[in-house]
Amino acid sequence: MSEAVDTANDYELDLGWMDRTGPWNTQASQGKNGLTLADIQIGEYGDPPVESDNQTGRPRGAASRDSTYRIGAYAVRSKSEIWLDNASFLYEEALQRQWSSATDVPWHTIEPLPDDVEQAECQLATFLTEVEFVAGDVPARWVSLTTPDFLEPRQVLLAQVMDESRHMDVFRKRALANGGGLMQATGATSGFVGSIDLSRDFTEMSSRLHVSGEGAVLTLFRMGELMAQNEAEKVIYRLCAQDEARHVAFGVMHMRYMSEAAPERREEIHCYLDEAEGGLIGAANPVGQLTPTSESMAIILGGGKENFDDGMNKIIAIRQRQLREYKKRVVSAGFGDRFESGRSKVDEMIERAAA
Amino acid sequence: MSESSAKESPAEKAEAPKFQPKYNWMNKTRSWGMRALPGKAGLKLGDLNMGIYGEIPMHWDDQSRNPRGAVPRRGMPPVGYAIRDKGGLWADCAADLYEEAIQRRWAPATDVPWDSIEPLPDDVEHAVCQVCTELTQYANVDIETITGWQHQMSYGYHEVKQYLATATFDAARHYECFRKRALVNGGGLGLEGPGQVNRMILESRGGWTEAVVYLFLVRGVFTMTLYRYLGRYAHNDAERFIYGHALADKARHVTYALDHLKFALAHVEDQQLVTATLLAIGDNGLARDLRDPVLKEALAIIFGGGIDGARQQGMEVYHALMRDYVDTHLAYCRWLDIPRNPAALPPPLNEYVDAPADV
Repeated sequence: MSEAVDTANDYELDLGWMDRTGPWNTQASQGKNGLTLADIQIGEYGDPPVESDNQTGRPRGAASRDSTYRIGAYAVRSKSEIWLDNASFLYEEALQRQWSSATDVPWHTIEPLPDDVEQAECQLATFLTEVEFVAGDVPARWVSLTTPDFLEPRQVLLAQVMDESRHMDVFRKRALANGGGLMQATGATSGFVGSIDLSRDFTEMSSRLHVSGEGAVLTLFRMGELMAQNEAEKVIYRLCAQDEARHVAFGVMHMRYMSEAAPERREEIHCYLDEAEGGLIGAANPVGQLTPTSESMAIILGGGKENFDDGMNKIIAIRQRQLREYKKRVVSAGFGDRFESGRSKVDEMIERAAA
Repeated sequence: MSESSAKESPAEKAEAPKFQPKYNWMNKTRSWGMRALPGKAGLKLGDLNMGIYGEIPMHWDDQSRNPRGAVPRRGMPPVGYAIRDKGGLWADCAADLYEEAIQRRWAPATDVPWDSIEPLPDDVEHAVCQVCTELTQYANVDIETITGWQHQMSYGYHEVKQYLATATFDAARHYECFRKRALVNGGGLGLEGPGQVNRMILESRGGWTEAVVYLFLVRGVFTMTLYRYLGRYAHNDAERFIYGHALADKARHVTYALDHLKFALAHVEDQQLVTATLLAIGDNGLARDLRDPVLKEALAIIFGGGIDGARQQGMEVYHALMRDYVDTHLAYCRWLDIPRNPAALPPPLNEYVDAPADV
């Protein structure tokens, strides 16, 4: 024992901190799904402020001390900017449904494919890797800007960063697992998708990333049974769709909350949606126009270059479905009036796609 | 209509292709024909690093989201990544840590045996809740620091970005489970911590390597030591599970830090002395936080089994913990070959130099 530390005498305890706590006698109880985040949203601990003045990063409900350094400078401090009612559920679901691209995908089921199909698979995988880069980078940045008083949505965003990391990893793995390789980057993340980076407001970002961007990708993943050449690809699309559905749900539920809590911002949100709808038929959408990604998808869906038209017809069907699903989400988020008023051109887009 | 098409029969017209693909993307690849094969632990991220796909340059010029090894597309506006030097973030172990983190995932809601928590004496419950409050804040700083840097790291080094995604997810889980522990047994959250180290970590403006020094080599090693001792003095299986698993997560964070710092010290000019200077600043920040009695007393109450035991036995264990921390921290510095003068550590850290942990 060190001579420098005097342990011979009893230490004088101050213990003043014992009287400075958050609400006491708190007893959270677990339910049939264990002790979830929702289970500890009790009393004052479950009550996030409408406006957060927390600049020290203290946990919501903890006692504050006057001397603590301010570390916050949080840009997101209004509840309406980020809140959603089912964040705890989405977070717990994300934890339960984590998967491993190394061991949960049956890689051994991948067999050599005709060269045109393998090239198409690799082109699509290259595109999806790029897209997942955005979806990981941007939510992470917003987490660092959000007060911990809104811990529940922050936890969901952290789960999303993890999910997206796995997605970029699994598509890179697919590109390199079957004798192919990565193809040319599409640069799609610098256009409409890239505008996700430029968002100056969380809801603006979420409407672009979660509702329109990831919503479009979700429709694609749900077509995995059509696109997959083997069991490994089926599993990849199925698991990615499951994750993506949570991210889309986050965006829809947040927009719904925002619409009710800050109705003065509805027109602004409509403007974001106007812009997003333009992107739904743009080059960044793999089933939007005749781009390298849509060409590669047509080869995959048709089963080879010789069936390109068949593949394109399926792409058009997917595009229609994508638009219909987008419309449903926007209605669910509380912005259905844009379809009734004729502001949105999505119905026309669906008709044009059919023609 | 051209003459030739006018001569086509109706059947020929029906067979004419409806779409005109360009196929100008086909055959655009830098490397074709290699096949990454799964090993006994599946198809791991590191397994993909073959041929050109495993070439990790010392500088990554590309400011787009071009995946490493893909053919870049010209004319893409830069996304604006600040960290484009390998020396600023790289660790050889990142890909392995990423896969390990995924394999060792756990869910606080269902994996922690919450049923095992029984009512504790009020002073001990107060102490546990106070420690959990401060550990929640530590996790918060992990979250805010790493997420503040992730998007600044370029994709030439995707293995590190991917590993750090697991590290923030670990921190999210720690944030959650310490909050849950504080609210599950008749207590509540305690008093927020003094926060000088928190601010120091978040203010690491000199680069990600600086953040790594403060976040992992100073705070991380300290937190890891706390987890070890708290696991040893846990009151029930739930706490044992939490501290044990949080310790395993934190050990990965520190492993990344040591590997990265080793790489940075070897490849970045003056990094050795810069790191030594940062550590001197970091020690002072930690020392100031440690002079605050709250965490020390709460830990002593846990280690001593109550207020009465805290004054003697609890404090002895606390001192052992501190000796362990200083010992481990200095051992890591020696392994990294960072010049340190233990005698120059600020009080109270200097009181624990060269003293073996005997508890």
